[in-house]
Formats: sequence, structure tokens, C-alpha cells
Amino acid sequence: MSVVFALATPPAKSAICIFRVSGPGCLDAIKKITGSGLKKARTFYLRPFLDSHGGVVDRVGVVFFKGPESYTGEDSFEVYAHGGLGVMSLIVDVFKGLGFDEAPPGEFTKRAFLNNKISLNEAEAVVDVIDSSSREGVYLSTKSLSGTFTDAVVDFSKRIDFLRVGVEGEIDFSDEGEDFLNSSLIGDLDKVVADFSLFVDGCVGRKHYSTKNKILFVGPVNSGKSSVFNRLLGFERALVSSVAGTTRDLVESEMFYNNASFSLLDSAGIRETDDLIESRGIDIALSQVGDADVVVGVFDSFDNGVLNKFLTLARGKNYLSIFNKLDLGPPNQQGFDCLVSAKTGEGFGELKNRLAAFFKVYDKGDYSFLVRDRHISLFNSSLGCLKKASSKIEKDEGLELVAEDLRLARGFLDEVVGIKSSDSLLGDIFSSFCIGK
Amino acid sequence: MDKFDVIVVGGGHAGVEAAYAVSRSGMSCALITFEKTKIGQMSCNPAIGGLGKSHIVREIDSMGGVMPLATDMSGIQYRTLNTRKGDAVQALRVQCDRKLYKEAVQKIIEETNIFVLEAEVTDLIVKDSFVKGVIANDKEVLAKKTILTTGTFLNGIMYTGSEVTKGGRVGDDSAIPLSKKLYDLKLPMGRLKTGTPARITMSSLNLSVMEEQPGEKPTPFMSLTNQANKHQEQLSCYIARTNKKTHKIISENTHLSAMYSGNITGIGPRYCPSIEDKVFKFSSKDSHQIFIEPEGIGVDLIYPNGISTSLPKQAQKDFIRSIQGMEDAEITEYGYAVEYDFIDPRTNKKTLETTFLKDFYLAGQINGTTGYEEAAAQGLVAGINAVLSIQKKDPFILNRDEAYIGVLVDDLTTHGITEPYRMFTSRAEHRLLLSQNNAEQRLLTKAYKLNLIKKERHQKYLEKEEAYKNFVKNTLEKTKTKTFVNKKNNTVNLDEKRSISSILSRPDVDENKLIKPQGEEKNFYKRASIEIKYKGYIDKQLREINKNKKQNNKKIPHTIDYKNISGLSNEVVEKLTRSKPETIGSAAQIEGVTPAAINLILINIKKLELQKINA
Repeated sequence: MSVVFALATPPAKSAICIFRVSGPGCLDAIKKITGSGLKKARTFYLRPFLDSHGGVVDRVGVVFFKGPESYTGEDSFEVYAHGGLGVMSLIVDVFKGLGFDEAPPGEFTKRAFLNNKISLNEAEAVVDVIDSSSREGVYLSTKSLSGTFTDAVVDFSKRIDFLRVGVEGEIDFSDEGEDFLNSSLIGDLDKVVADFSLFVDGCVGRKHYSTKNKILFVGPVNSGKSSVFNRLLGFERALVSSVAGTTRDLVESEMFYNNASFSLLDSAGIRETDDLIESRGIDIALSQVGDADVVVGVFDSFDNGVLNKFLTLARGKNYLSIFNKLDLGPPNQQGFDCLVSAKTGEGFGELKNRLAAFFKVYDKGDYSFLVRDRHISLFNSSLGCLKKASSKIEKDEGLELVAEDLRLARGFLDEVVGIKSSDSLLGDIFSSFCIGK
Repeated sequence: MDKFDVIVVGGGHAGVEAAYAVSRSGMSCALITFEKTKIGQMSCNPAIGGLGKSHIVREIDSMGGVMPLATDMSGIQYRTLNTRKGDAVQALRVQCDRKLYKEAVQKIIEETNIFVLEAEVTDLIVKDSFVKGVIANDKEVLAKKTILTTGTFLNGIMYTGSEVTKGGRVGDDSAIPLSKKLYDLKLPMGRLKTGTPARITMSSLNLSVMEEQPGEKPTPFMSLTNQANKHQEQLSCYIARTNKKTHKIISENTHLSAMYSGNITGIGPRYCPSIEDKVFKFSSKDSHQIFIEPEGIGVDLIYPNGISTSLPKQAQKDFIRSIQGMEDAEITEYGYAVEYDFIDPRTNKKTLETTFLKDFYLAGQINGTTGYEEAAAQGLVAGINAVLSIQKKDPFILNRDEAYIGVLVDDLTTHGITEPYRMFTSRAEHRLLLSQNNAEQRLLTKAYKLNLIKKERHQKYLEKEEAYKNFVKNTLEKTKTKTFVNKKNNTVNLDEKRSISSILSRPDVDENKLIKPQGEEKNFYKRASIEIKYKGYIDKQLREINKNKKQNNKKIPHTIDYKNISGLSNEVVEKLTRSKPETIGSAAQIEGVTPAAINLILINIKKLELQKINA
């Protein structure tokens, strides 16, 4: 069994976060990450958490359990750190650097079961967890791997295969009188490296942007979108004034509620405008509708025409229409999902609940975030191997090492797509080159 | 009525290696073959080794087998392939004198207690699905274990144009009654084919117009045992080339070829195509290489490697005579395609014992492989495991990261085959760990524990390893220098003195100009340079291997029913049911088996275990 780790608390800003680590040999790492060992099992120690260069990431609580006296039955330990997202991601980096793997859902329970820590009756539940989490995993990965993304990854895999055909052919069939390594191979490899670098950069850029639960606020000019927005956030984030069209650009902020993080996007009010800056803001708002998970229409009066216009704008997204300015009196007509007052805070408890309800699907921790984060790190590993291969082939430093780099690069991409592709390498060699005595 | 520990049926490379392994462990063994004088016969081209194959032979060598010894007793041309590439992918290829090779094998067998019986095996003696022996020439021969290594003789049929002959090799019989017996058992069987070229007298060729390919000097040895300290007389090979006229003759006659006329249903190896195939599939190439390989010292016969064919005789003669230097070629035997039965190797365990009959092992071409080396490796594995099973000891199974033999057996028993299986280095994902030069370090101690090699050899090996460690510690780590010469022949000055071993880890260093060790230390130095160069990659591979070792070695009980595991897709259930992987590691390698599926299997195994305890 490998050493696995997982964030046991939700991946959101909170007072503390807890990481669990389990697997043979994991206790050896405690000394490395805390600078000193821990004496007694099941005892809480306060220690600095160090990165690979010895820098202090955070001051944390650490408890270790000696197998089989632990939940999983293996040696394991827990880290209690401060719950900032930055700290979490640094801790994840340190664990990965130590060669620990991110635990797939159900992994700790599975290990507990395999190590006789839980009974047969509980086994069915374990199967259910793994079964459903794998289904969820498939759902989420197909979501993140939709269409063009998968195509792009598969395309890079194919290009690496093409390089491997030449390199492996040259190794296994060097006496066949075939020209496996023509001069274009180096050029092809460099081209793959360059294209793949661009692709990975793009993914890194998109990652943060796409992993949050996005709520977009739209509405007629001066209906109080920014006030609602600020009330939800609890502080003055967007510029608020009673002059129509104050918010000219898109304002983004993060909100944590019920252990989940939401990205709130405040848009400029929608109206016909001659003001260039403001109309650009409206364009941005319209373009954001596509990326938003929930669109919230904020209104200060009932107008069927206007309401329908926004409903159309939401284009089938989860949509919530709210009436603001309840402090000035109830709406002239029923038909809103929520009645609030940004000024007094009335109705906001209900609003938050209704917003959170839209994200129920993602209840089981932010798995979609992990899936994507995993992709980036696999891409980077793959890219690193391709670069090594390229430098080795140029310096003529052993074709078998180039082959190994290419094999590893290809393997990382297979992991992203989650499919073990059949190794058709030999077949490709035989169909591209005339081999055989 | 004779009773043996082990019966080996077949005297080819698999059979010989199996019998020799049994005899080395001190057990009694009967080797049953059609004809004594054909034991160890090379039925295809007279060469041993090559990429992926010399790796196997060196592994056999480290375990005290026959093949490397016979190779050195009959080798007439040695060449190391891939000398410009790294150590892991270098391979020794040896042309052998066909007659001397066979004689060497027979001599080795004669010096053992192996009982050689000249007979045809027509039936198996089976009681309650245990094989108790065989019927040979109408007589019962009994044994605790039976190993079948019948090669292409199982229902073998040879084709030359429209001529069809029964048999597995020219002039030999085919084992039809035995193959009928196996068919009666309703085993999953299939048909494969392979081909050979015509044989030509050397005196009828004009070698002076061909490219000469002399052997390597100084001439290396295949076996590292130093048993053969002298080589046979060394000969050259020659390279001839087909031309447009040759291709025209072949194209015009392709429809008459047995393989194109639809007579043959078996699947042929893609890496060993007939010349008809080459001309047809690669029509843009107007010339193909032919290696003219001498059949032996003072033998007026060559093997033209590269033009295997099943064309009619006249067409064979015409196209051969269109080749420069072969205008007057005298053909002594025409090329043919041979089609034969194989048994789906997924029905075997990794010990090569079958799952359909107990005490019964299959090794060699019957499992769908091709090549002497692949056959010999399986013979060795079956022989060792038959003995261990009699001794009631744990089976001997090599992992994919330990040996090419491990890759071979795992590929066969887990993935099965789609064409005659041949070893390539690219089949081994841990290729960098598996050099032909480190086979002893990987296997010698294991072999010693299995009584396959003598104590003196093991002792000598341990001393050598000790000397090597001392050389690294005392010379490479202690000697320090500030300058070295790089591959571009420039002198590089370092900031401070560094040890030789740390300088060797730099990719740009020219190790030949760093220090100049003498004698045995020369080899030590070479080995250390390689190990240091590969270190980063090997460490990474070892980490990967160790990470999942415990889980991968977890045995899957034979009673498991994949259909009952909820959550597995039909496709995965079907694949697992067919391959019957023995361990979690093997299951994980099957295409389409995801980590989630592996988890479900693990949990199911545990459930079965718990139910057993609770029951």
C-alpha cells in the first residue's frame, strides 16, 4: 500500500483544517516535516510544518497513530493546520513532494476494512462508497474532461506515441536497415514540447477560474445588486452609490458559507447605454452568464417585461429572482423567489440557504477541485519528462533514457484521461516500418 | 512401467531446458522425443540472441541453463547490437553452427541422469483431472509431473505453394493423435503460422559482390560462466539485397503463395513477415536486406535470413536467382509456411501448470510463442516449478521488474497472445533495470537457493560482488579531482574537488578519460558508470515498484466470481474471467481495469475471507 493523504475538512476557508495521512512508512516523514520527531502516539504536539527547503509553512498540531492501533490499521498521522486555502495548498505540495498520493474517495475506509478494522456488515457500505465515488468521479471527470479538453489530451498522447514509434523502433530493430530516427524527429519532439507548454499554461490559468461555485448577480440599473452582494460578503466590496451605473466592471469576490466557497460576481446593471466603459461592463456580464452556475436577478420593482428579459438572459441556468429594498415596502406584486433588504439584512438567511441549495451536488467535498488540481500536476510531470527527452536527444545522451522519458510522459497523460490505453506501440512500429528477417 | 519424478515431452529448446532444470535439482526425469539425434535442433535460423533475447539467454545463464553453454560451444559469429546506445538495450547476437549447437546440447544432456526415450507420445494418462503420465509407443510411462513442449508439432501442416505436407519440420512427423487428445479436452486453442526461407549452397553464391559482416573482436561470450574458454573458428555473414526485378517476380506470383491463397488460417508474426508480405505491404521500398548466414564451419549451406516464403518452388527459385550474387543459387530445400496449434496461455498459471489438468505443464511454442530463447525460458520455468511442486515448496515466479522471463510469463498468462509472441525490449516497462549484463545480480542467488547452480559458482559471484563494492567505495568515492574531460574533448574545471562517482553522474563526462583502471577493475568501472548514469531513473522505478508491492502481490483466489462483484462493468468482468489473473498486480495491468475496479476486487476478496472465517 502506498502512503495516501486527504484533507478531512472541506476545502474552504475555516478556522482549522485537518489532513489525514496513512500508509506504511508515513511516520518517517514526520521528522522531515516537523523538524523533530514525536515521542508518544495519540498525543497532540505543536510543531512547525516545514516545506522541502525547511521554510515554515504554518504552526500545526500533529498526532500520530501506530498501526494497527489506528482507524485504517496502518501507521497514520493527522495534521491540524490553520484553515487558509494558501496553507492547504502548500501542505498538499509538501505531501506530494514526499511521494504521498492523494487518497481517492473511500480509500481510508477501504484500508480500514482490508486491515480488519471494520466488520463484514460494514463492508457493503464500503463498497457503496467506492462504487458511488467512482461514479461521481466519472461524472466529475467527464465534466472536467468534456469535449475539446479530452480531445486535446488524446491528441498529445498520439503525438508522443508517434515519437515513441521512432525511438523504440530504433532500439529494438536497429539492424533492420530502416531509418527510424530521421532528422525530423528532434524537430517533432521540440514542437510537441512547445505546444504542450502552451496547453499546460492555459490549463493553469483556467484552473482557479473554473473551480469555484459561481454566482452572478445581474439586474436592472440601480436595483441594488452591489448592495446585496456586499451584504452577502459582509463588507464593502463593490463600490455602492445611488447613482445609476456605479458598477462599471465585473467585481469578483469569494464567500464561504456552509463549508463551501462561492465566487460572487457583481455585474453592471443592464440598460441601453452610451457610456462606453459601462457598456463594456454589461458585455462582460452577459459573457459571464455562460460560466456562472447560478444567476441571481436583483430587482426593486415588479415589471413582467423586465423580469422575463432577465429570465431569458439566464439561458436555462439556475436562476433566482430576488426583490431588494424590502425596507421601503413590499413589492407591488408577488412572483419573486426571495424578498430581502440589503440595507437591514432582512431575508438574507433564506437567500444564503437557497443559494447553497443549488450546489448540493458538490456536497462531498470539493472533489471537482481535486480532479482538476491533479490534472495540472500530471501535466507538469508529463511536460518535465518531454523536456528531458528533448534535451537528451539533442545531446545524444542515451536513446534508452529518451525512450523512458517518453514512456513516462505518455503514462502521465493516460492518468489524466483515466483510461489505460492499450499499448499498440509494437503494432504501430510494424505497420509503419518494414521489420523482420 | 517406469515411474519418474518428471516427464518432459519434446526435445526442443523448451524440453531440453525443462529436463536439465529437473536433473540439476536431483530429481529423475524422462525426456521423450521422436528422434534422439534431433534433440536441441535449431529449426529456424541458426542464431541465438538479439534484442530482448540475449537478455533472456543471460538470465538462463544466471540460472545454470543449457542454452548459453551450447551457444558458446557452437558460436561462429558474435556481434553486439546497439553499441552506440546505453547498456540496458545492448544485446549480443550469436550465429551458431547448426550441427555443433545440437551436438553441444546432446552432450550436455548425456552427462546428466536424464533418461532419453525415443518414442511418440499418443496419449495422456489422466485420473480425476490429474495427469499421471503418458502413453509412449503404446506403453505407459508414469510420473508425478508431466511437461508438454511439443513446439510446432501439434497438428503441424507445412505449405509450399499449393503443396501441403503434414509435419512440424521438414522430414519430421506431426504429433496428430496427441493434438486430437488435447482437442477432446475442449481447451481454448488456436492456430498460428510461421515461415522459413529456402536453404542454399554457399558455393553457388558470389559472396564477393555482397557486403561482408565480420564478427566482433575481441569476441565476447554468451555465457558468463567461463565454461567455454575458447571460441570455434569465426566466420563472416554477408548482406545481399532484393531488387525491383525480384519484387516483380514475387508480385506476379503472390496469388500462388499458400498464405495468400486462403489455405492458411493461422495468424503469422508481424515482425517476421514473408517476403511476399514485405513486397505487398511496403511497395514503396524497392529493396530489402537479406542476411546470408553460414550454417556452420565447413558446411556448404547458408540460411538467407529475410526471405521466408511459401511461394511455389519455381517462383522461389526465380526470385532468389534475380538477386545480385545469387544468380546461380542452388536451392537444397525450399521455403515453406508451417501452421500449428497452440493452447491459449491464459489457461496456465504463472508456474506454467495448466488450470484444466493438474500436474501438467505447458512450455514453448505450444503456448503461442516463437523463438528458441522464449521457448527455453518457459522450459526452465516449468521445470523448476514442477520440481518445487513435488517438494511442496512455494512456486518460483519472477516479477516483471526482475527479469525478461518474468515479463514473458506474465504477458502470456495474463494477456494471452494475438500473434506468435516474441520478446522485445519495449515489452519490459522496467527495461532500464534489466540489462543483459546484470542478469547475475538479479538471479544468481535465487538460482543458488533453488539448487540450479553449484556452490562454487555462487561463492565466486559473492566474492566478485564484494570486490566491486570495495572498488566503488575505495576508488570511486575516495579518489577526487578538480578537472575532467567532457564528451566534446574539452577540459572542465570544477570549483572544488569532487569524487569520481559524483563526476560520473554528470551526463557530459567522458568516463573513458576520467580514470584508467586495469584488469578486473575495468569491468567494475564500466558497471559503476552505468549504474551511476541510470541511478535517477532506476530509483524512480524502484519507488514505483515498492509503492504497490504489497497490494500487487495479493493473491486472487481461484474461486472468485467477478460476475458477483457489483460495480464492475460487463467488459471488465469478461476480461478478468478470461485471464484469471493470479494477483492484484496482474489484474491491474489488464486493459480497462481501473483503480476503482481494483478496489472493488480487493474488498470482495476480503469479504470472501471474512465469510469463510464466520462460516
